[in-house]
Amino acid sequence: MRLQVVGCSHHIAPIDFRERLAFSAEQARTALERLQSEVPNVDGVLLSTCNRVELYVGSEAGEGPSGEEIIAFLARFHGLDPRELREHLYHYVDAEAVRHLFEVSSSLDSMVVGEPQILAQVKQAYQSATDGRAASPLIHCAFQAALKTARRIATETSLQQRRVSIPSVAVADFAQRIFERFDDKKTLVIGAGEMAEETLRYLRDEGIREVTVVNRSYDRALALAQRWQGRALPWEQLFEALAVADLVISTSGAAEPIVRMEQFLPVEARREQRTLFILDLAVPRDFEATIGARPGVFLYSIDDLRAVCESNRKARDQELPAARRIIQQETDRLMADLHLRATGPIIRRLQQGWEKPKEEELRRLFNKLPELDDRARDEIRQSYSRLLNKLLHPPLESLRDESRHGIPHSLLDALARLFQLKD
Amino acid sequence: MPLLTPNPSACYNGMTGWECQPGSGGRFPGAQGWNTEMLSGVTIFCFAASYIVALILEISRLLFRSGVRGAIMLGFAAAGLFAHSIYLCHRTTLSPAAPLSSMRDLLLVAAWLLVVAYLYLMHYHPRAAFGLFLLPLVLALIGAAAWFANSRPFSPEPVARIGGLSAAQIWGLIHFLSILLTLVAVLMGFAAGLMYLHQASRLKRKLPPLRGFWLPSLEWLQRVNGRAVVVALIMLGIGLLSGSILNRIATPPGAGRMPWHDPLVLSTLVTFLSLLVAVTFAALYHPARQGRKVAYLTVVTFLFLMLALAVGLFMRTQHGSARAADRVQSDTAAAPRGATP
Repeated sequence: MRLQVVGCSHHIAPIDFRERLAFSAEQARTALERLQSEVPNVDGVLLSTCNRVELYVGSEAGEGPSGEEIIAFLARFHGLDPRELREHLYHYVDAEAVRHLFEVSSSLDSMVVGEPQILAQVKQAYQSATDGRAASPLIHCAFQAALKTARRIATETSLQQRRVSIPSVAVADFAQRIFERFDDKKTLVIGAGEMAEETLRYLRDEGIREVTVVNRSYDRALALAQRWQGRALPWEQLFEALAVADLVISTSGAAEPIVRMEQFLPVEARREQRTLFILDLAVPRDFEATIGARPGVFLYSIDDLRAVCESNRKARDQELPAARRIIQQETDRLMADLHLRATGPIIRRLQQGWEKPKEEELRRLFNKLPELDDRARDEIRQSYSRLLNKLLHPPLESLRDESRHGIPHSLLDALARLFQLKD
Repeated sequence: MPLLTPNPSACYNGMTGWECQPGSGGRFPGAQGWNTEMLSGVTIFCFAASYIVALILEISRLLFRSGVRGAIMLGFAAAGLFAHSIYLCHRTTLSPAAPLSSMRDLLLVAAWLLVVAYLYLMHYHPRAAFGLFLLPLVLALIGAAAWFANSRPFSPEPVARIGGLSAAQIWGLIHFLSILLTLVAVLMGFAAGLMYLHQASRLKRKLPPLRGFWLPSLEWLQRVNGRAVVVALIMLGIGLLSGSILNRIATPPGAGRMPWHDPLVLSTLVTFLSLLVAVTFAALYHPARQGRKVAYLTVVTFLFLMLALAVGLFMRTQHGSARAADRVQSDTAAAPRGATP
């Protein structure tokens, strides 16, 4: 019984390499089918995301294919040179492979630690690998344990609640505390910077629909608006748009503030103090800072958000040891379970070996005492079974203890020899 | 005039040391209630203790994370609610009009409704720290009911009667329910108002949420605040109207009607007028409906209502006593403190 993983991630492989090794959903299905036809008694899961490509291989009997064979398989599938692959691939076996799987699904190995998408990707890879066919118990055990570990880390640490990118902090730590829903809110984008688009992506996930773009260059505003199914307005209509907006993302790149207090006050009167959330992501700032003190206005500059990102990063780093402890506990637990499962055949034979003399003794006893009624016979039978269980308990307990440190080969061997257990 | 003075020698019931009021027959107002609670097996302590544990678990959210705490917390709150329900049901076996018949009932039913609201909200927002705001209010209501409120019915007439309820009973029921819902609406609004002010203050200071202290959005809290104020206004209006009708039709011959300048009536009228002015102003001037103004309004309304409640609990008032007094042997002249809301 062996679990191993061969793969690459953003930690060690450049993006062009990862692109060449990536699998589409269809390719992943084909590759897994081919793996099973080429190597009997193995099962696999292929995880292919923009940051990593990993092939998990589980073999129920024996040691399964070697790392080199798996690399050769990947190279053959993509028509690449195995020597080139070897440079950027890692290969983990058993406990190391389990720990790596747990770290990946808990997003400890992600580019942005704590990002929640990877868990969904792992789940999807596992599901598509097991869809329509019976995956091996080893693969089931490992991936179910990985999902459980990720859930434990999500509930027992605040790793996933700490955002560290400016747009995610802006949306999750501030906008969501102001607005209950976003589908009825009007979003105004001032300028057409990259950060604005990134923030819009997060806001779109929250449900925003109505996007208005105002930019000094009307053409650029139009291009951005078209990408987000919004509308573009000429620069002169900035204050009209501001009067009806609920969220503002400003990245104009102007040298001077484009909204000063004296310009904002008439807008405020028209808004009747409705809540206004302003993300001023421009440097220098687009909104005069004093506007943030007006009733109903929540104004955040890039420095405000950066400070929160930094404090979140520190808080998240403090959570890492707890997350790693959970991973270690779960790895130990799974490995002990797997090792114990490996002792299953010997235990079964041991039990079967003792069952036969028990039945013989019972038969002899019942023949000698024909006056026994059914109730007495049942009592005696149960008594014998209890005695057997009690006799078997110490060796089984020793096997369980030894399984924590690996498959107890010497103990299994001793048991087999002592009790003459044959295949 | 405050009437509560510790006096263990006078009608000490073994659980409190408060001097009894004239009109309570020389016994602590709730003494009979305590005995029946013991008989029923469920006491106020049972559900109060469950709510205290739920509150402690809520507070512990600020200190550390736990995967099972949420379920345990809800379990304790639900167990408390179950015991609370049994207690209120048992009250109906003692008094036909219970649990809608006395000041004590009013506070206990209000607490029960707040716990139902808490469990409902926690179902939809499991991360939110509603308990930190609602459970202290629940415990304060239970505490006031256990130690200060009178359990003597406002109207000792049995509810069920051949041919249905009398007009006085119907108006009495409407009066009780409307005051009850006013109390619950104001307390909900107060809790939402405090949450709003805390959330808005942190957002204005550009601070992320505290660990374990997640609150709903300002938009949601503002909506709850606005609705609580309107519901409180409507219910208090109905309460005042039904109270004045009740005052006319249920005063026994020979007994004087309750004057409008009775401290309890006066303080309730002030609460109603302040709510009316605030809601009218908000309807005419839109910015008054926005942001912190509504939250402050719910806090002020809460203070007014607490004043009215304190008057009902601790001051001499004729409210509700005219109908009750002629049926209680020992007191016809002076109205007992805390007889009615």
